[in-house]
Amino acid sequence: MPALNRLPATRIVATPSALDAAIWPPDRLVFRLAADEVLVTPPAPEVSLNDPHALIVSDSGFAGLWLPMKEALAFLEHECEWELPHGRPAFAQGMVAGIAAKLWFEADRVLIIVPAPFAADFEERML
Amino acid sequence: MRLIFEGRPIEFTAGDTVLAALLRAGVHPAGGGCLCCGGDCPHCLATVDGVSYVRTCQVAAKPGMVVASHPEDGDPPLPAGNVFNAEVSARHVHCDVVIIGLGESGRAEAEQATQAGKRVVTLEATAGQEAIGIYEGPLVVARTQEGMLNVHAHEVVVATGAAEIQPVAEGNTLKGILTARAASKLAAAGIDLGRVVAVGTPPQGVKAEIADGQLIRFEGSERVEAVVVRDKDGNEKRFAGEAVSVGLGLHPRDTLLRMGNGLAVRAVGEAARESDIPPCPASGMVCSCSRVTVDDLQTIWERGFHELELVKRATLAGTGACQGSVCLPYIRSFLADRGQVLQAPFTARPVTRQLTMAEAAAGVHHRPVPRTALDAEHRRLGARMDRIGGWWRPWNYGNTLEEYWAVREGVSIMDVSTLGKMLVSGPGALELLERLYPTKVSTIGIGRSRYVLILDERGYVFDDGLICRDAESRYYLTFTSGGSSFAEMWVRDWAGSTLPQSWGLAPDSNNRGLDVRILYQTLSLGAINVTGPLSPELLSRAGLANPPNYMQHALATVAGVECRVLRLSFTGEQSYELHHPAEQSASLWRRLLELGAELGIKPHGIETLLKLRLEKSHVIVGQDTDFDTTARRIDMEWAVKLDKDDGSAGSPQGFVGRQAVLRTNKTPLDKQLVGLEMEAPAPIEGAVIWHGADYAGYVTSSTFSPALGKVVMLGWVKLFNGELPDEVTIEGRPARRVSIPFYDKEGHRARA
Repeated sequence: MPALNRLPATRIVATPSALDAAIWPPDRLVFRLAADEVLVTPPAPEVSLNDPHALIVSDSGFAGLWLPMKEALAFLEHECEWELPHGRPAFAQGMVAGIAAKLWFEADRVLIIVPAPFAADFEERML
Repeated sequence: MRLIFEGRPIEFTAGDTVLAALLRAGVHPAGGGCLCCGGDCPHCLATVDGVSYVRTCQVAAKPGMVVASHPEDGDPPLPAGNVFNAEVSARHVHCDVVIIGLGESGRAEAEQATQAGKRVVTLEATAGQEAIGIYEGPLVVARTQEGMLNVHAHEVVVATGAAEIQPVAEGNTLKGILTARAASKLAAAGIDLGRVVAVGTPPQGVKAEIADGQLIRFEGSERVEAVVVRDKDGNEKRFAGEAVSVGLGLHPRDTLLRMGNGLAVRAVGEAARESDIPPCPASGMVCSCSRVTVDDLQTIWERGFHELELVKRATLAGTGACQGSVCLPYIRSFLADRGQVLQAPFTARPVTRQLTMAEAAAGVHHRPVPRTALDAEHRRLGARMDRIGGWWRPWNYGNTLEEYWAVREGVSIMDVSTLGKMLVSGPGALELLERLYPTKVSTIGIGRSRYVLILDERGYVFDDGLICRDAESRYYLTFTSGGSSFAEMWVRDWAGSTLPQSWGLAPDSNNRGLDVRILYQTLSLGAINVTGPLSPELLSRAGLANPPNYMQHALATVAGVECRVLRLSFTGEQSYELHHPAEQSASLWRRLLELGAELGIKPHGIETLLKLRLEKSHVIVGQDTDFDTTARRIDMEWAVKLDKDDGSAGSPQGFVGRQAVLRTNKTPLDKQLVGLEMEAPAPIEGAVIWHGADYAGYVTSSTFSPALGKVVMLGWVKLFNGELPDEVTIEGRPARRVSIPFYDKEGHRARA
């Protein structure tokens, strides 16, 4: 059975301009969840931002699973109504199997991320 | 090879459709009616292998297939077996153009689109890809042999061709009537049609006697024996035969086109043609799906239904299995004859074909129910889990009374991770919260918390929670479990809205909202409530010797976990909510249970919490409140500071809902949420409250209080002559209105 594990991360809310200008650690995945929100995994708590009011917190509220590209596409073909990005790498967000999900496409694999409280439901829907 | 029809074996040959096999054996699957062999009419429908409304002309016969006719009157019964286990998969594909139908025009469109470099998907019914509906998008849903296929396209091309117009005349429900194409197909399949008479365009490849003239009626008993036409001189002529072929013209198979009104859908080829309009029928069955005759149309016409869409609704003609393929040309003809105007075809709606439950449910999921990080812990402890407030939560752990007394006399813990949680910071944070909450947010000190109501624009209570001030311009907010998602949208909407200048806009905001940062943490943070008179002792054992005081909060390490500790009370006892990273919930929970073992610690579930909070008469928004609940009606006007913007600090608009509260406060109070007591047993929640013979209201919360030895309730009660009744009747028994809270009226235990 596929298992989604909690994704240790840093979640940052700051002004869009501060996030645009930020320099992110090269060994991290940085997902722009919204104009004013970023998820960095593994965690990067020492990120420097030009926003004194930025909210920078460690976060384990998401769960993720890496799938080989072929397997991921076979699953998404059935469970994703929207068109997947064609470029690589690519980040996309939307409903997958009825659950709000985030997808990170690399050349040969895909990271599927869902809110951790929905991980059990998502796992069932992957079967 | 044999299939089974109505319990008896029927031979078929390779390549036969089910219909061909049945006709070869002299059986008409529907008992009569003109057959088209093109999937257009409802006259060959039957139940095949448990699935009803199957067009037998479109299904290949297979050995062992079980076929049954539909009942003559009424719908086929639902299958007896559990067909819902027969899961059908759904698949999504994306393309530039989807072409439905691969006849000559469809193939040409496909070739042209491909040459233009477009991504093309084709659907061909005869290849088992049956388009059953077009939806917003446009999205074409097709039934295929592999399951349901959802084609998301930029453009839809309908190339489904044209159907033959069926005969509507007296006797048109007899067996042995065929469209010209059907006659050709069946003859080509080697089926002996007997002596054939052809009306209109004759069938190709079939020897037939030509009955030249306008169709008048069919004659026969069960099976057609003759057809009568009127020749050009006005004389009726009778032609005897064993089968009658009718070639009365064509009408476009444009149901999908009419379904895609306003979408990027177009028709090509015969599907784009104008319909031939047959002569207005004098008698006969117009719509065999809904059993509508020409006489029925006349009756409806005389009652004033003169518009095609209204005739459809009045008679249900066009809403059945064939979706108007048979009746539409005739209803248009009928209305044109009576009203002298040829009306446009009626709107079509998905689906064009009957689906099984499994097909209709393909790819559909139930709404997911989130689980807290402690879900496995609860189940391990034997909790009875239930869906409460949109989450899986423990209802109880087996003994509600033990859970109750652990809170009242010892110490207990509860998973409250489901509470809404949000961080708000930034220069505009205070301004935002002042406008959203009816309390004076500026007076909440750093490290302090306050219970707050949240009002909508009408001044009605839609949620409640806490405001905890972290720093000068940083706040931590909590909301109810069930209301947190909406609360997040609420806060974000107001923060991002174009606001009056007096709302403290950032200089560079270009009036696009307040300068705030909002982080929704409901799904990221766990929360455990430690409650009971021994809760300080438990926290001390967990390393927190000096927990915050009542309505204060602090960051602290508890059992090795970094927590935000909120001192409050919903249970009526000393309580400390430990908000913490969700991945550490299980270790914190287990450690607290270990450390509290000597103190008799027990976890409690929702059932116990409802009892505890009701003894304290704490309102649950959504259970004790309604859609018109004001703070005044729940006697919580103390939580609404109408004077907070009085001149000095704010805008004339004040907080959300203020104007509505000011206005409604001028009307007399009409009902109030009150405390009630009575002897056991507790009435059901929702029970009617009577004042004498008058309806007075209803019970919103009800429980037997172990500590007080009586039933305590909250309920809505009307005022009679400006007064709340003191004595009422509930479920035929006396009840008294009492002051609240019921338990620890002075709040000493909660604030201890």
